[in-house]
Amino acid sequence: MNDTEIAQALGTTEPRVNTDDALARFQARVQTEGIAPVAPVARARLTSRWLQGLAAAAGVVIVASALTLSGVAGSIFQIFEPKSVVAVPVTQSDLNYLGQACGGLNLQECMGAYGTFEWTAPPQPKEVQSRTQASAEAGFAALAPTSLPSSVTGNPRYGVVNRSTATFTFSADSTRQAAARQNRTAPPLPANIDGSKLFITGGPAVVQIWGAPTTAPGRGGQGDISDIPTLIVGQAKAPTVSSDGVTVDQLRAYLLSQPGISPQLAAAIRAIGDPSSTLPVPVPAELAISHPVTVQGVQGLFVGDNTGIAGAVIWQKDGMMFEVIGSFNESQALAIANSMR
Amino acid sequence: MTLPARDPGHVALAVSPAFESLFRAEYARVVGIAQRVLGVQAEAEDVAQDVFVSFYRGHPADAPYARAWLHAAAAHAALNALRGRDRRSRREAAQAVPLEATAADDPAVTVAASETRQEVRAVLARLPDRSAAMLALRYAGLSYAEIAAALDVRASSVGTLLRRAEDAFRRELQ
Repeated sequence: MNDTEIAQALGTTEPRVNTDDALARFQARVQTEGIAPVAPVARARLTSRWLQGLAAAAGVVIVASALTLSGVAGSIFQIFEPKSVVAVPVTQSDLNYLGQACGGLNLQECMGAYGTFEWTAPPQPKEVQSRTQASAEAGFAALAPTSLPSSVTGNPRYGVVNRSTATFTFSADSTRQAAARQNRTAPPLPANIDGSKLFITGGPAVVQIWGAPTTAPGRGGQGDISDIPTLIVGQAKAPTVSSDGVTVDQLRAYLLSQPGISPQLAAAIRAIGDPSSTLPVPVPAELAISHPVTVQGVQGLFVGDNTGIAGAVIWQKDGMMFEVIGSFNESQALAIANSMR
Repeated sequence: MTLPARDPGHVALAVSPAFESLFRAEYARVVGIAQRVLGVQAEAEDVAQDVFVSFYRGHPADAPYARAWLHAAAAHAALNALRGRDRRSRREAAQAVPLEATAADDPAVTVAASETRQEVRAVLARLPDRSAAMLALRYAGLSYAEIAAALDVRASSVGTLLRRAEDAFRRELQ
């Protein structure tokens, strides 16, 4: 087959597009879905917030993976097990709202605004000395990149998070009290949600970090700029959430009824085709872009802006969640991800 | 700013002049890249809309990398759509093909052409992402320099990478 034949094989009739119509369609979609253009922010100011945003995106996977189910009641049915990941743009107004809702509280305290969160087996991260040891501790083969860009040097440090478990019980009283503390009126918690439980599972997880400080936190590390890792590779058993009553559609409807959720976030949440198998990854809408990519033969998600300041690839395969994070552009991040063996 | 008055059903435009200019300059190219992968213009236009939305949401219209970003995103988004389509039922795919079957009135010829197109798309879906994207970009008419910018490779490497991609394509197609 020569070049001409390839061209014919790949060829279709040249598209005759109507750009005016296409632009009108684009504009209508932007208006309908409330899609805002990126804010014109000086790039130099982005760096630290960038990394914070990416850390937040990564944190969802890690946190979700660090939660695990222990006791299982007979009436429990599984409502969430991610088969794929999808970006959910979170605007500054969403963050402001969530910040007010949580008031600087940690995850457990923040979720306390809607009920009772309880670790039944809390995550206990620990450092191990080798990938072999990490695999043995985690109970699965920890994959590692076989190809690294020149900016990543030295040996990684290894961390393992055990399989831990948590339960969450919805409470209409807690919801009302939390809203009252913010001088807000929360939508009433539906009766079938009040008192129902979620059983959250995830992990174990293995994290490999290149360029991490050699002095462990709490033992004299100063945490300066040189402490920022050059590459983080995470791998965890996919988290699951089971319920003894509430369905994922009911939870989604309740979330969307909350005051302060931006149209962009609401549209993105509504757009998740199958919320029972899709892990939403919050991406700061003003600072980061994200789009689906093919990684390791499956569909994953790239988060970054292709400038090389920072980028992350997140994907799910064979019941495991993976992520590669560092100061890379898309092709570099994908090359690392695809080299994992 | 509004669409030209001659356009029926015009809507008020809120996008910046810079974005509109970029959209007008690159829309056909983005659709062309996606169509090389998907083979169906309607799907390619859907992909193009998604690509421009992603760009609009995350990048300034006058970014120096705008064109390269759009080209790469068109190829990758179309490949993802192709693989998603492949995962759906064969029946749906079979229904999609006749939409652009244009040549023959002879049903046997039409079926053969449809099968070839399906096979070509299946091969693209199996190729490594960069190889498939490279073929889509090249056969959509991008120059080596444009491909290099889109896929973040050296321009001097494009020829070699393209030959490898073509070889892989031929092997898979046999």
